[in-house]
Order: sequence, then C-alpha cells, then structure tokens
Amino acid sequence: MMRSLFLFDMTFWLYLAALGLYVAYLFAKRPAMQMAPAGHPLENIEERDGAWATQLGQVATLVTVFGWVLNTLALTTRAFERMEHSGTFAPWSNQFEAMAYVSWAIILGYVMLEFRYKIKAVGAFVVGIGFIAMGAASLLPYRYQTAEPLVPALNSYWIYIHVSITLTSYAAFAMAGGLGLMYLFKERAVNRGSQSRFYAAFPDLETIDELGYKAIMLGFPLLAFGIILGAMWANYAWGGYWSWDPKETWSLIVWLIYGAYIHARMTRGWEGHKAAIYAIFGFLMVIFCFWGVNFLLSGLHAYA
Amino acid sequence: MNDKPEAASEVSASGPSTSGLGWEEFSREVVDFFASIKLAMFLFIVLAMTATIGTVIQQGERPETYVQEYGEDAYRWFLRLGFTDVYHTWWFTSLLGLLCVNSLTCFHKRFPSVWRSMRQDKVGVSLAFIQGMKQQTTLSLNQSKEAVAERLVRLFAEKGYRVLAKSDPGEVTVYATKGIMGRVGAHVAHLSATVIVLGGLLGSYYGFQEFGVCLEGQTYHIPRGNFDLRVDKFWIDYHENGSVKSYNSTLTVIDQGTPTATKTITVNDPLVYKGIWFYQSSYGDAWDQIEAARINVKEKGGDKIVATVDLEWNKEKAVDGLPLKMKMTDFVADFAFNSTEKKVFSKTAEHANPAIRLAVDERSAVQSTPWVFYHYPDLFEIKDSAYQFEFIGYQPKKFTGLQIARNPGITMVWIGCTMLVVGMTLSSLIYHRRLWAKIVPSEFGATLHLGGTTHKSQIDFQKEFRKFTEKINAQAPS
Repeated sequence: MMRSLFLFDMTFWLYLAALGLYVAYLFAKRPAMQMAPAGHPLENIEERDGAWATQLGQVATLVTVFGWVLNTLALTTRAFERMEHSGTFAPWSNQFEAMAYVSWAIILGYVMLEFRYKIKAVGAFVVGIGFIAMGAASLLPYRYQTAEPLVPALNSYWIYIHVSITLTSYAAFAMAGGLGLMYLFKERAVNRGSQSRFYAAFPDLETIDELGYKAIMLGFPLLAFGIILGAMWANYAWGGYWSWDPKETWSLIVWLIYGAYIHARMTRGWEGHKAAIYAIFGFLMVIFCFWGVNFLLSGLHAYA
Repeated sequence: MNDKPEAASEVSASGPSTSGLGWEEFSREVVDFFASIKLAMFLFIVLAMTATIGTVIQQGERPETYVQEYGEDAYRWFLRLGFTDVYHTWWFTSLLGLLCVNSLTCFHKRFPSVWRSMRQDKVGVSLAFIQGMKQQTTLSLNQSKEAVAERLVRLFAEKGYRVLAKSDPGEVTVYATKGIMGRVGAHVAHLSATVIVLGGLLGSYYGFQEFGVCLEGQTYHIPRGNFDLRVDKFWIDYHENGSVKSYNSTLTVIDQGTPTATKTITVNDPLVYKGIWFYQSSYGDAWDQIEAARINVKEKGGDKIVATVDLEWNKEKAVDGLPLKMKMTDFVADFAFNSTEKKVFSKTAEHANPAIRLAVDERSAVQSTPWVFYHYPDLFEIKDSAYQFEFIGYQPKKFTGLQIARNPGITMVWIGCTMLVVGMTLSSLIYHRRLWAKIVPSEFGATLHLGGTTHKSQIDFQKEFRKFTEKINAQAPS
C-alpha cells in the first residue's frame, strides 16, 4: 500500500552496504610507507591510500550518497502519502518517520563532513549510527510505520519546524557520539603504539575531538531552538508553554547535559578522553529521550 | 564563556595579597565563585539529575497512589523532599535562581573585557607573546617591512578582519581580529536565563490556569476577566477511518452584555480576549445532561411494550395512542444518593450507572417523577401507575473542555528565548580570532612573525592560518 516503505527498505540496505564498505576501507591495504603522516591526513589522503583503499573509499562514499538520495526520496514520497491520508506534509509525524528523518540528517551531516574535511574513516562510525537508526525504525511494528492520520494536537504547522529541528539536533548529537567512540578507539591504539593499518586511516586525536565538539556546538543551539518552538506550540495547543511533561523535561535534561559539556570545554582538562566519554554518555541520554521516554514514561507526548 | 589566557591573567593580576580578609578580597572571592564555570557545570548537572526525579515519579498524584506504589514510608520521604511536586520545591527553584546568579555574575565579570576589545584592542605585543601562541610561524620575505605590512593588512581585511597597525622604529605590528560577536552572543545567552526565569515567575504569580467543562448553548461568567463566554456550538470532525480529526467550539465573548468577539476554536487555535486565552483542551460526555433518551413503555404486569418514546432533554412529549405525557428532567451518569441531604448526584464523570428522572403525567391524574436506570430496568415500581418505564438507550451530550489561562509573563519568556537562541547561535557559529604580526627588517627584506589565537574551533582556525601563510608566501615575488 505504501510506496515509501519500499524506498525506506532500500535505504536501509544501502546504508548497510555503505557501512560495510567503510569498514572494509579501514581494513584495506595501504602502502606501509605512507602510514607515518596519519596524524595529518587532511591534505595528502589520496597519496596515503593504496589503490584498493582509495577505490573502496570512493565506492563507500558513492553508496552513501546514493542511499541518502533514496532516503530523501522515501521521505518525499511519504510526505505525499501523508498529504493524501492525513492532511499534513511533515514526513516526521510518528516514531518511524522520525527515525528515518534522523538517519537522513545524520547521513547528510556525515557527507558534508566528508566533503569538507576529506576524512573517510569517520564513516565507519557515523554511517553506522545512521544505519542503526534506520534499522531500528524498520524493526518497529507495521502499524507504527504507516501514515496514520494525526491526532488533533499534532495537526498543526508547528510540527514542520519543531519536530524537524529537534530531530536535527539529535542527529548532531548522534554524530558527536560516533566521533567520541572513534576517539576512544584511536586513543587506545595510540596508547598501545598500535601499528595496525586499521587505525592509520583515522584522523589524529585532536581532529576527532574538535569535530565532535563542533557537532555538539551545532546540536546544542538547535536543541534549544527545538525546545523553545515546542514551548510555543504547547502554548497554542495545551494552554501553557511548559508543563513538565516527561518528554519536555527529558529534552531539557539532555540540553542541560550538553550545557555542562559546552562549559566544561572552556576549562582545561575537558578535551579529549573525558569529552569523548561525555559525548557518548550524552548520546545515550538522547536515545533515552527519543525512544525511552516514548515507550517507558507516559505523558502528553505519548502519541505513538 | 571566557578566554582562558585572559582569565588566567586576571587572577594573577589581582594585586598584592593584603593581610587579613579585606572587603575587596572577599567580594572578589565571592564574584569569582559565583562567576565560575565550575559552578555552572555543577548547576547544569544537578538540575539535570533532579529533573529526572519528576519524570520517574508521577507528579501531583493523590496520596493513595503513592502509598500504593511505593509504600507509606517512602511516601513520607517523598513529602519531606517534595518529590511529589519536584519542580516547585524550594530547592529546585533555588537551583534555578543560582543558575541566574551564576550567569549574571559571569556577565558582570567577563563582559567588560569583551566590550573593551570591541572598541579597542591591544596592538603592541612582544615577540615572545607571538611565538608562544598555538598557531605561529616565521617567514622570510624579500620585501620591505612596509610593503609586507600593507599586504598583510589587505589580506586580513579581505577576509573580514578588523585590522589595526602600529609602526614603530624598526618594526611594524599588525593586529587583526574577527568574530567578537561570538563572545557577545555567549553573554546574551547568559542574560537570557534570568529573563526567562523572571518571565516564568511573573506568570506563576500573576497568571492563572483553569479548566472549564462547558455545554453547548450555555453562557459562563469569567470572573477573572469580568466578561461572559457563550458556547454556541461544539462538534467533532472525523477522518475517513473514523479517528478524530479535530474538535471545535464556537465561542462568543459577551462583554458588558454585548457580544464582542466570536471565534471557532480548535486544538492549536485558541481564542484570546483581554489577555485571557481559551483553549480547546478536551471533550467528553457530560455527566448531568444528555441529548435524548429512548424509553420503552410497558403495561404493568405484562411484558408487552406498548410504546417506544424518544425524549428530548426537558421537553414534554405526549405518547401516541396512550393517555400519557412524559418529560426527562434530570440525568446522572453515575447514580448516587446523598441520604442526609436527600439529593441525587453523579458519583463520577464516568457513565457507570446512568439514570434519568422522568416527569410522568397519566391522564392528568397520576403524576410521578421516577428515576429509571439504564442498567437496572426493574428496580422501582411506580405506585398507582398503569405503566412501567424502561430506559433503553440515550444519546450523550458532549461537553467541551476549555482550558482558560492568562500568563502575563509570556512576552518576557519569549524575549528571553529569542535572546537564548540568537546568543547561542552566534556563539556557536562565530568564533573570536585574533592575529598578531610583527615585521622586522632583515638582510633579505623583512622577517614576519605571525601568531594567532582562538578560543574554539581550532581546526578551522588552523586551516585559515595555514591559508594565510601560504598566501603571504605565494604573493612574495622572489
């Protein structure tokens, strides 16, 4: 019945393939001589890579971009289906669509990062999270996946902006979480003096750390904006801009957690290792806010 | 958000230590404590942790609920700690207050230096200062120091930097800066916390929030606004699949006896009159009124139904072919009887035991007002009557649930929110950068010492810095 579901499925498989390719890229053979400059991979990435690795990397990027295009198509198709069935356009109106949108945003963020900084190794982690998000979405029961009409409270133009911005901030935090994980891997390899070529493709620690920080710097104001838009919406729909509903509270908790992070970065000793662990912890909190609250706690946001 | 080196220098430059604890020193200690980032982090984390309590423990429930779920001892502790209404306890509010104090003190302590560097900057620095920076390089160029300086100024200005140069005998110092708004933004965000909290306080002291259950056609007085509200109409729209699409009430405001405003409200689209907002909040079946009831009239003693009558609310109806007139005068959704006051009332809002009261007029001789029950058809018998009445069905009357609220703090909250978003966006997208260049003549032409610093976005700055050095090198005609 739903054409978009087929496209979402295809996206899932393409992201899986892309993830596989990125991991393969990390394992691919590169000339041993060229491993030394791994600390400064920004410019000479092409020379450093062996032919195999280069090709794998290129294919991985292509598959990712193609998957993202399909993801976009799936969301667009869903938007039209929604238009037919439920009188709204927003293809992020239930848990399933929200997940698909988050993975769309994660992958978009990753592709932008790859094009800007020319680092492919990040793909193994960040595309991985995008894939997991898509996979978790497809594991939802079928009744959650269809474009059911919206309940009256959701049927508003606020849904376009509040939900998309909040979900985009989640995607940024997901990216930071992936980078944090990557940092810990790399750090372990560095501390052990590992010569494995697996880690040689990783950017240096400082770059990973800085990218993670940037992702959070993006997500933090976005989440604030998303929460505030939610408050404005609540002021129209529920008769109060803040009612300490579990979802609301949890998004505030997540925001406070990242607020502590942002301030910690201003003091010494909070870069690197600690920041990486904190970013992973923050991302776990985001997951709870996004999933846990919907399924474990009741409240005004319990629409699923 | 402060700059590390500056904060460090401020502490070290805090003057010679006086003996004893002078007022100056004390107040500085206090300011340092309340402006500290550590306190901010502590407050963020503690607020985050305590806020979770209210999402795990249901808030504002009845005591029985807590006792049942957690036991009596736990409930006593809950009361002592305020866990049944965490977000309004004195300690939670104090934490929010501390956060305001924290951000205001930070503003007080650090903004003046940001303000100063917006207007004037330190141009002259020592060579050691430049060489001690994270990004620094030394280039040999075969041009005169003036020519190099001129090129630098142009290069920096092209990139949107504000450039200041200072020419001393034997050397030229160029200073370039960009992105101070990033730091201003952080301070705007800091101020916003207080604005939002004040707006919230204003709302909680001078605002109100009430819930009204209203029936179509009725007029209600709104004492807080000193006007009346009439509910003209209430209806529900459905989707094709039968789920509710929207519910709507047409409301008319009657001020001083004259209708002044009419609006159909629906979820997400409230009516606002004199600062009071009317929200479509819910709907349900009224517990004291119904639209219509269906009554079977039976002859006493027999099981034969002699008539089926549909009664409308409070309208007398004569039964065809029988010397009988009936009227439905009362309804309760969940029948209960108060024996001391001899009054019938509805125990709950649920339609658990619906009953109607009839006014029966038989041949104008027997008059009675029996209660008849939906679930218990044979409960009572009417004396002297030839008939038995069965209440077999009814059409409930929908009430519209209106949320009525006024919040005078809301404008302030939105101002604070705008400040927060603008401030945070500025501070995360723009980063403050400063470059210093010292050009001294050498035997080939000039030697350039270039150094730069930023308080964040190190990799982007590193990239920019490298581009600058490349350009300077490339442009030098060899």
